[in-house]
Amino acid sequence: MPNPFRSSRAVTAGALLGAVSVAAALLPAQGADNASAIPQLMLPRTSGWAGGFTGRIPPAETYLPDDYLHNPANIQRAIALGSPPDKATAFLQSRSLNEYIPPAGGIGPISDGPEHPFYNNPMRAVVGKNGTYRVADLNSEAAKNVMPWALEALKKQNALALAEKNGETRQARCWELGVPNIHEAPQPLYFIQTPKEVVMYQGHRARHVYMNVPHSRNPEASWYGESVGHYEGDTLVVDTIGQNDKTFVDGYRTPHTTQLHVVERFKVVNDGKGLDVSFTVDDPGTFYKPWSARRPRYLVTDRPLNEEDTICSAGNEDRFNLGFDPLPHADTPDF
Amino acid sequence: MRVGVGHPPAPGLSAVWGRIIFRFLLMHRGASLCESLKNYGRMSWEALLARARVWLCATAAAALFVASLPAGSPVHAAAAVPDLSGTYWANVYYPKVPVTGGGDPPLNPAGQAAYRKNQQGLRDGSLQDPVRKLCLLDGIPRLLSTPYPFQIFQFPPGQVTFVHELNNQVRAVPLNEPLPTYEKSIINLTYGGYTSGHYEGDTLVIQSNGFNDQTFLDSSGLPHSDQLMTTERVRKIGNQLEDLVTIHDPAYYTRDFQARYVYQLRNDVRLQDYACGDKHRDLSSVRGVAEVRAARAQKRFP
Repeated sequence: MPNPFRSSRAVTAGALLGAVSVAAALLPAQGADNASAIPQLMLPRTSGWAGGFTGRIPPAETYLPDDYLHNPANIQRAIALGSPPDKATAFLQSRSLNEYIPPAGGIGPISDGPEHPFYNNPMRAVVGKNGTYRVADLNSEAAKNVMPWALEALKKQNALALAEKNGETRQARCWELGVPNIHEAPQPLYFIQTPKEVVMYQGHRARHVYMNVPHSRNPEASWYGESVGHYEGDTLVVDTIGQNDKTFVDGYRTPHTTQLHVVERFKVVNDGKGLDVSFTVDDPGTFYKPWSARRPRYLVTDRPLNEEDTICSAGNEDRFNLGFDPLPHADTPDF
Repeated sequence: MRVGVGHPPAPGLSAVWGRIIFRFLLMHRGASLCESLKNYGRMSWEALLARARVWLCATAAAALFVASLPAGSPVHAAAAVPDLSGTYWANVYYPKVPVTGGGDPPLNPAGQAAYRKNQQGLRDGSLQDPVRKLCLLDGIPRLLSTPYPFQIFQFPPGQVTFVHELNNQVRAVPLNEPLPTYEKSIINLTYGGYTSGHYEGDTLVIQSNGFNDQTFLDSSGLPHSDQLMTTERVRKIGNQLEDLVTIHDPAYYTRDFQARYVYQLRNDVRLQDYACGDKHRDLSSVRGVAEVRAARAQKRFP
């Protein structure tokens, strides 16, 4: 007859062993996503990364980089573009709601100039003037990086915008935007993150990024090209080639060729309050040197994908004959 | 905010149970299960009780461990949610709702009048099909007949997301949220409708209502009223996905009726970009597409 006392100790030891072994069997499934430091771009369904005037706009400091908001050169530029000196921060924030912001260093994006400053709706409130369409400053450093054929295209668009014609951006006319111009669109950006694929959706647009795979040899040209991605620590890096030449790279309608190569970097900042989006654009058919820009987004909650954003083309005709782009449409619908 | 990344690990579940069984066998120190069972027969009541306590403690510890995991963790998800994720593509296109059991949709006189009007309008061009002309949202069940591939993601948390190639339609189905009542849904009717989903065993059940009058039930112009309510039962059968939809619209139909749509799992296919009016992917593998295109070219409607 075994000693009941000793047996009970063995029982306790056995139970402990059992619990530990069961825990060990279950742990890997749980540990897998705790251990990773990849950016949590995917949010609960009611939250997204807003790029425009979506809901309550948080204070600039919570999602805009310091080197943008407090850079003396940017403040000087804001004043040159018409900002009251005491409202430069508000001006810079308003501007960032539908414009790329310059990179921390190097060649930046095409932009407006003091001659024809661009005022979007929130900037109008800051400067106390009427809104204006975008007119590219062709004397800037960024414009000097643009090849003559593309400069010609910009000149034509400038003339149209100054004549109050076709001043709307491609996103406002509901077109597919390509990369990087999808970042100009203000609608909240939503992510689905799986190990093999990252899907970005925004209004009526959807983009697919295939993770940890090489590019195809000759991807067929398409609106968003072929995007492959990987994580570099806390940053999602997306490399895109194979875009068609029907899109523009910015709101000023700077064209590009099918040689366009874009590398985007997505990083969650300030404890999930902001999404840092930066990208480098290389197109040996359009630009002498690669340039880069940023487009920070902020967290919005209580705003799942909205049908209003999704049905852009419904009731969006050029009713007042402002020379807008036609809406995308199918003359012979298939299905 | 904590969000799990990765597919619902339903396939991993068997691996977890496999490891538990392996540990169970290990605890019998190499003896076969039969021998162990024989041993139980020879054991004294005290020893048997002690052994029972070992298992009780181990089970309780495991249960406590699982319960302590945050909600939405893969272990919980694996226990409750069928894995529907993947890329799917139909191999048949139905220009008309394929009524289960055959025959025509059970239109009542008001429905018949609306259908005649729609068909006449589509034929003579007096009625636009704005959903197709401007590439908007199809509504249900028209979206279900898509001849283009689509993806299902059981992400982000609290949502099942259908990403369609056709018109880039993203259908974001919230889980376990109430569907608006009829009275609420008609305040703002929409192209995509309001939806709500929940799981019943191996099936995702999706209810939708609040569709506007710009949408048809199919490309032939089958009409619906603002009372339309659809209930889909989506499940995986082997390498196929079945979407069994029940159509409830007492204003235009004499009874509820069903249609069944089946898609093949095609994880080898990447979704392509879709822009309205472009020439899109080759659909020759989808039965019914060529006939419909030929008919449309001659301005004939199904």
